[in-house]
Amino acid sequence: MPTAVEAQTETRQSLPGKNRAVAICGPPNVGKSSFFNRLTGLRQKVANYPGITVEKRVGSLRLKDGGQVDLIDLPGIVGMHPRSEDERICVEILRGRSDTLPRPVAAILLLDSTNLQAHLRMVPGILGLGLPTLVVLNMADELEARGGSVDVEAVSAQIGAPVVLASAVTGTGMKEVLRFVQGSFAPPRKVELPVINNIPAERKWAHSVAARSSYHTPEPSLWGRRLDRAFLHPVAGPLIFLAVVIAVFQSIFTLAVPLMDAVESAISVSAGWIGALLPDSMLKGLLLDGVWGGVGSVVVFLPQILILFLFIGLLEDSGYLARAAVIADRSMRSVGLEGRSFIPLLSSYACAIPAVMAARTIENQRDRLATLLIAPLTTCSARLPVYALLIAAFIPERPLLGPFLGTRAAVLLGLYAAGFFAACGTAWLLKSIVLKSKPAPFVLQLPAYRWPTICSLAFRLIDRAKIFLRRAGTVILVTTIVLWFLASVPYQDGEPPPIGESLAGSIGRTIEPLVEPLGLNWKIGIGLITSLAAREVIVGTLGTIYGMEADEGSPALQQALQSELSFGGAIALLMYFAFAMQCMSTVAIVRRETGGWKWPAIQFAYMLVLAYATGFAAYRVFG
Amino acid sequence: MTGTESDSLDRLSPGVTAVIAALDFEEADRVRLMELGFIPGSSVSCQRVVPMGDLAIFQVEGTQVALRKETAARITLQPSSTTRNPDADSG
Ligand SMILES: Nc1nc2c(ncn2[C@@H]2O[C@H](COP(=O)(O)OP(=O)(O)O)[C@@H](O)[C@H]2O)c(=O)[nH]1
Ligand SMILES: [Mg+2]
Repeated sequence: MPTAVEAQTETRQSLPGKNRAVAICGPPNVGKSSFFNRLTGLRQKVANYPGITVEKRVGSLRLKDGGQVDLIDLPGIVGMHPRSEDERICVEILRGRSDTLPRPVAAILLLDSTNLQAHLRMVPGILGLGLPTLVVLNMADELEARGGSVDVEAVSAQIGAPVVLASAVTGTGMKEVLRFVQGSFAPPRKVELPVINNIPAERKWAHSVAARSSYHTPEPSLWGRRLDRAFLHPVAGPLIFLAVVIAVFQSIFTLAVPLMDAVESAISVSAGWIGALLPDSMLKGLLLDGVWGGVGSVVVFLPQILILFLFIGLLEDSGYLARAAVIADRSMRSVGLEGRSFIPLLSSYACAIPAVMAARTIENQRDRLATLLIAPLTTCSARLPVYALLIAAFIPERPLLGPFLGTRAAVLLGLYAAGFFAACGTAWLLKSIVLKSKPAPFVLQLPAYRWPTICSLAFRLIDRAKIFLRRAGTVILVTTIVLWFLASVPYQDGEPPPIGESLAGSIGRTIEPLVEPLGLNWKIGIGLITSLAAREVIVGTLGTIYGMEADEGSPALQQALQSELSFGGAIALLMYFAFAMQCMSTVAIVRRETGGWKWPAIQFAYMLVLAYATGFAAYRVFG
Repeated sequence: MTGTESDSLDRLSPGVTAVIAALDFEEADRVRLMELGFIPGSSVSCQRVVPMGDLAIFQVEGTQVALRKETAARITLQPSSTTRNPDADSG
């Protein structure tokens, strides 16, 4: 493997300190995350809210001498003029101005070797930061397969930094990268680089470096063209889009079933063991009914969440998601939002919080406000457990479109569509009444099609599982324990009271008149209160309530719900969850982003009215 | 050379390549478009027009970028720099 790492031994200097951080940066879709995964393996932490766009991951690498290096996987940047929130994070970290991370001691600049002329333009900006930098020309496998080549030594000599040709997929060049990370770092040698911030000059320089490094441009990939012809076809394109969406929703039900059964039986078997081990006591009640019943009933939905994110990962890594954005552009435009709102809205399918943060991408303040106000209406993954539970309990599974689409998947699809249309309608209202403005230019880069790698998909799922379980272990656990206590007092004759007479029960009965018009009883009412902490808490709450109520072995939550709720009530509850802002973290982040209580209060009230009205209407129609 | 093509990017038909002359945007938008490859001096080709949402997809500096017609209209091309690319896709 040609390498130019050794080129600079003269100026090497050792850097002290134990946890030195090395940043991996570069344009989007060059394989930064694949590289990071390959180097750090499972020793990585995810920042709190990884959405589709705002993410920052740190992983550690043990060195032979016993020390440790932290690697930071940064979001993609196309230059040193950040416009979006994630780009700003990236540039701030590289400049050492981040509050959360120390300045990295070195940088790895990842570029796509199949598009070298264009990507070399990033070099002056990054080397200008003054950090010791290794330039990795990734996708070596593809360069070779498509008949391209490059003289790595020549590139290195011209840019004054070590250069390696590598592939995150086959592992070529990894040894050199490891040597750079583990060894001491050399600052970039002074070479004449074009004036930073003069993009036309940077372009000329990049093209000449490529030409003088005997860069052979690889043949364009033909099947990328063919795929575009189908995916962006005026008729076939939207149909394929629809088919993809249907397939995702159908598999959330069909593929997940055996996995969910397995998780469920694991939970009930372990509950049995705990029950047999512990003597009868209050602690046993707390553990079995509170923790196992409550948290367990939420954890059952892990497989469905993972399947959703598996598909999102497949669509994103393969490059299809950007084509879907092109297909969806018209609907964004018809509601008066600029195209850039699409990406934050897309990430709100994971969680509204990164979406609200990613809305910082949008410079137009009115569009930004509109985007962050509508983000919580799109269906975040916290709603999935609630939807899945109610759909499984109340919608019988029947084929609708042969084996391709069943009734359950169709209802789930309908709920996602309801959220989407409510978001669009609200955007249209906001944009045509309160937040009028001119649209900004719409630009969307379409990445090359690539086979998603098993490794990168696996890491996405591990990330998602960690976040879901962390929530189950914190927010959901705490609310469940509090609820269990409220439901266990006051003691009557030294025994916990029947739930209807407990403190939780009387709170529930107090608010019952409010939820009755939606066809809901006081137990669900308690769930509506506890789920203000996080939507999926309602599943845990109902798990706890019905678990405590049952004398001998708790009945499946689904059966309990079937006997408590009418069909109309179940639909009303689904509508309520589709539209209500049952998430205090989102309220908090909107307050922070808008600098006051005004907008979150308006948003909360608006969504509550919408939820209540549609729930009421649904109960009238179906009840 | 097809001198019939007008001098802004939105008029470029699929399969035709030209050289960018200037970008008529406010500074921040201009910088972003240049970072994405629309740099004066770069050659750009139209790959396809997407009927939905009047977008067109361009190939510039080795990447594919989708632009709205109205954005493309503010990117001017060097006069008589257009050439037809025989193997391009015209749909
Ligand atoms: N052929 C090939 N594909 C790669 C290589 N590195 C990454 N990819 C693929 O490129 C796509 C984008 O990779 P990712 O790591 O998400 O890029 P990031 O956006 O820079 O973090 C994924 O589908 C990867 O599987 C490589 O060296 N060779
Ligand atoms: Mg990445």
